[in-house]
Amino acid sequence: MNNNENQKEYAVEMHHVSKIYRLKKAGKESRPDDRYYALRNLSLKVEKGDVVGILGTNGSGKSTMALVLAGIADCDEGSLTVNGEQALISINTGLNAQLTGEENINVKGALLGLSKKRIDEIKEEVIEFAELGDFLYQPVKKYSSGMKSRLGFSISLALDPDIFIVDEALSVGDKGFANKCLERMEQLRDEKNKTIFFISHSLQQVSEFCKTGLWLDAGELMEFGDIDEVCEHYSDYIDRYNGLKNADKKKERDEKFAKRLIHVEKLTLWERIKRVVKG
Amino acid sequence: MFKSIAYVIKENINNLYRIFCIAKYELLADMRDSRFGLFWNFASPTIQVFTYWLVFGIGMNRKGYDGVSYLPWAIVGFSVWWFIQPCITNGCSAVFSKINVITKMKFPVSILPATVVLKEFFNHLFMMIIAFVVVIAFGFYPNLYWLGIIYYAFCTFMFAEALALITSVLTMLWRDVKKFVVSMMRMLLYLSPILWPAAFSKKNWTFMTYILKLNPIYYLVTGYRDSLLFGKPITAHPVMALYFWCLVIILFAVGSVLMYRFKRKMIDMI
Repeated sequence: MNNNENQKEYAVEMHHVSKIYRLKKAGKESRPDDRYYALRNLSLKVEKGDVVGILGTNGSGKSTMALVLAGIADCDEGSLTVNGEQALISINTGLNAQLTGEENINVKGALLGLSKKRIDEIKEEVIEFAELGDFLYQPVKKYSSGMKSRLGFSISLALDPDIFIVDEALSVGDKGFANKCLERMEQLRDEKNKTIFFISHSLQQVSEFCKTGLWLDAGELMEFGDIDEVCEHYSDYIDRYNGLKNADKKKERDEKFAKRLIHVEKLTLWERIKRVVKG
Repeated sequence: MFKSIAYVIKENINNLYRIFCIAKYELLADMRDSRFGLFWNFASPTIQVFTYWLVFGIGMNRKGYDGVSYLPWAIVGFSVWWFIQPCITNGCSAVFSKINVITKMKFPVSILPATVVLKEFFNHLFMMIIAFVVVIAFGFYPNLYWLGIIYYAFCTFMFAEALALITSVLTMLWRDVKKFVVSMMRMLLYLSPILWPAAFSKKNWTFMTYILKLNPIYYLVTGYRDSLLFGKPITAHPVMALYFWCLVIILFAVGSVLMYRFKRKMIDMI
């Protein structure tokens, strides 16, 4: 730790990060696939212990952002430095419908890379937190979807990374459970001083929970700063957009789409092979 | 290249418990699918062996090879085949079938081939029990040479792992790889000494016997039979052993390079 106050420690540093997806061309045109900016030229620094709420409309790149932050997807341009271990909280991933709730704690625990000892430690807590009760020894396929999500989410919480990335995790389950999760996350935020990235469509949740806001639009960074300001600007934007006529909405969407598209010149087979070999 | 090999080995060793758990629970989930679960692990190979024995042993009147009756001779071969065959076909989709996991959490992709092979290895243990029963019923009693199958099972494991490393990544690049591999499997069955000794005695065709020996499965099947039936030590085929291990190391190196190169790109290849 550097005690110099001017030099804060950053959990995440992004320099001109872009993520490019490939679009399959329609029909049998002979030109190569178009590229598409899922994220474009993001530069930001997030301090350790910060709680960042990521806002944006559908398709603005929030989930891609989560994948890049979690280290699951590589960025195509720019550089990303992450100090500490990061984990994406995924809910229904890794649950096996044939197995019982108890076995699934082992399965998902192992998938997440927990040791056997650690899994035994957390088991009680998970059962308690997920409110499984008598369903513990039933196969997961018989669970209600809310119950499944509760189980999945509680196991994920047992991880102890430095950076949490929560993508729409709280939109499952009923209000009671969402509050319970939020409480747990607040505990992580306040007591363990974890860095948290929080993605949610609920503006209210975000503004209550987060310290910093990050607004993505069409893959670009619109605003990064104090949560209340960002929330305000974002909701203004949403209101304005929703106030538009349908034709105008479509026009705006098309414009944004066109801005994110990159046309690629045609490569010969040999050039493509060279590109694959070089990476 | 050495960096990627070290990376793959390290990641696999660091995640031994994870590999074990995934394989174990996949197997368990398979069994839960059906009412009789474990029973089928014994029943379906038995039925298949019975079919082949009826057709080749009785119908075509094969007397067996090298002084061993056809049934024990074939069942040892089959026990290897049923280890390798699902390893190869499922190995192709090792990564692809776990797409929901690797796109949703940070996951060491390079351990996936090992989980597939380990799961099939558990199945192989069931199959070996059947093979032991049949072999003993035909008067081959356990002796020290039987320990050789531990070595040959390890060989099979490493070969399957090396191959699955390659095919799992290639399947992510081109889905057709799996289709190709699956359609080649029947050919591979007959090019391996499982139902017959894979030896050509017809004039001008004897060279084929040598070509078939280039098939690494030849070494594995021969090894299992040497240990269980013929009482030969594991050092019986030094040249073939050398060739086999060179091949495995090359395959493993290629697989590691592919895995290392594409590990972070998998998500873009869905």
